[in-house]
Amino acid sequence: MRLLLVVTCLLLAAAAAARAASTQADFDAALAAAAAAEKEAGALKNQWMPTEQALAAAKKAAAAGDFDTAVAQANEAEALAKASIAQAKEQQDAWKAGVIR
Amino acid sequence: MRRLYSILIAMMLLAPAHPPRAAADDAVNPDADFKAFRDYFTKTFAKVPLDDFVNGPYSMDAELRKQWQAIDDFPPYDFAVERGKEMFATPFKNGKTYGDCFANKGIGIRQNYPYFDDNSGEIITLELALNRCREANGEAPYSYVKDEMASLTAYMAFTSRGKLFDIKIPNDPRARAAYENGKRYFYTRRGQLNFSCASCHVQNPGNHIRTEVLAPALGIVAGMPIYRSEWNGMGTMSRRLVTCNSQTRAVPLTPQDEDYRDVEYYLTFMANGLPVSGPAARP
Amino acid sequence: MRPGRKAAAAGVLFLGATLAQSAYAQTPAGQALAFDRAKGNCLTCHDIEGGNAPGNVGPPLADMKRRFPDRKELAAVIFDETRRNPQTVMPPFGRNLILTKDEIESIVDFLYTR
Repeated sequence: MRLLLVVTCLLLAAAAAARAASTQADFDAALAAAAAAEKEAGALKNQWMPTEQALAAAKKAAAAGDFDTAVAQANEAEALAKASIAQAKEQQDAWKAGVIR
Repeated sequence: MRRLYSILIAMMLLAPAHPPRAAADDAVNPDADFKAFRDYFTKTFAKVPLDDFVNGPYSMDAELRKQWQAIDDFPPYDFAVERGKEMFATPFKNGKTYGDCFANKGIGIRQNYPYFDDNSGEIITLELALNRCREANGEAPYSYVKDEMASLTAYMAFTSRGKLFDIKIPNDPRARAAYENGKRYFYTRRGQLNFSCASCHVQNPGNHIRTEVLAPALGIVAGMPIYRSEWNGMGTMSRRLVTCNSQTRAVPLTPQDEDYRDVEYYLTFMANGLPVSGPAARP
Repeated sequence: MRPGRKAAAAGVLFLGATLAQSAYAQTPAGQALAFDRAKGNCLTCHDIEGGNAPGNVGPPLADMKRRFPDRKELAAVIFDETRRNPQTVMPPFGRNLILTKDEIESIVDFLYTR
């Protein structure tokens, strides 16, 4: 019974730590990753508007000191940029399947 | 991408393989593409007269055609034609005019654009030629998407109405690479919504997105520039491409980007033999 | 909200009938997602009872439970129909992060009322 209590306390503590407020450093890292992915999408001439919107929202939230939102938006931007990169790479050959013959 | 195609085609041409020309033609064959493209539209829409494809969504939808015919007594693009005519008649600061930059003083030549320029090796659209004309005469270039550019192209299209598109793809690897790049652009899916140009304008002409009737790709360039009620004003081919990209949630390219010029080259070649119908009105 | 009420009623019936498979089985939320232009935007291409000015690029979304008895199959169509049909024009809502998996489940709940 006591063991269960200890484990529960540990789990709660871990969960709280995971939810701890994000910092400027967290945001900087998330933004750098997102920006790098979006740059790669740009080199493929395949950027998406939602990526740009998420990047803008991330920067705005960071400027307002809301790093939780800023990190979440930067992560979203990175995921979107990666999806656009995957699309561009897949289409490098796949476009041919749609050509009228 | 263009450079890659150029290199590939150049390699094929230079390679001592048996029929080198045949190898190049296998890779890029505008005439075969043209036939397949034309056959697709004329068979899918067997009741639409060939020349009617230049009327875009009106060729696909009887109800929409009625509404169009009702407003066409007072075309909403008239003011742009008038303005373009005045601009053509007004000399630049150096005394020259737009007409001095073009064959036949710029009258009745819309059907020859875009063309492949063998000096620079690139595609020259009408919009690009107009801004280069301005710059060559010491004037600042115009925005490519509307206003003055739409007025100038509206006037030039108006003086070319009924003339048949006559786009040439010379036997130059750079021209063929530009054509192939335009074709690639047309069929490539992009944006978060994963649409290619063909998704709407090959696979779904005549179908509705919400209440909008999708236009066929065949002849879609013939009506440019257009007065679009949705825009409350005139828009150029550049504007149409930028808008299409935004609607797929893609970040649009810069107007007159190489890809945009190449896809216009591809689509206008596909319209060869159809009459210029621009400027036009669209919902 | 007029169509919403009817949908809600149907949703409740559906909930009771299927022992509430998901926590998102609230039809109004699914309908809002389906009709929102920034989300499902289904009406651009599909006719759905209760929606205005639908397009016709895709088939009408009716009789969905009979057509897709396996809800996983319907969710998969919304997630990425290009896997089944590479030339479809239907956007891959899941793959391209337009909708989350939970949002797709919510839309499936709504579509099952149609």
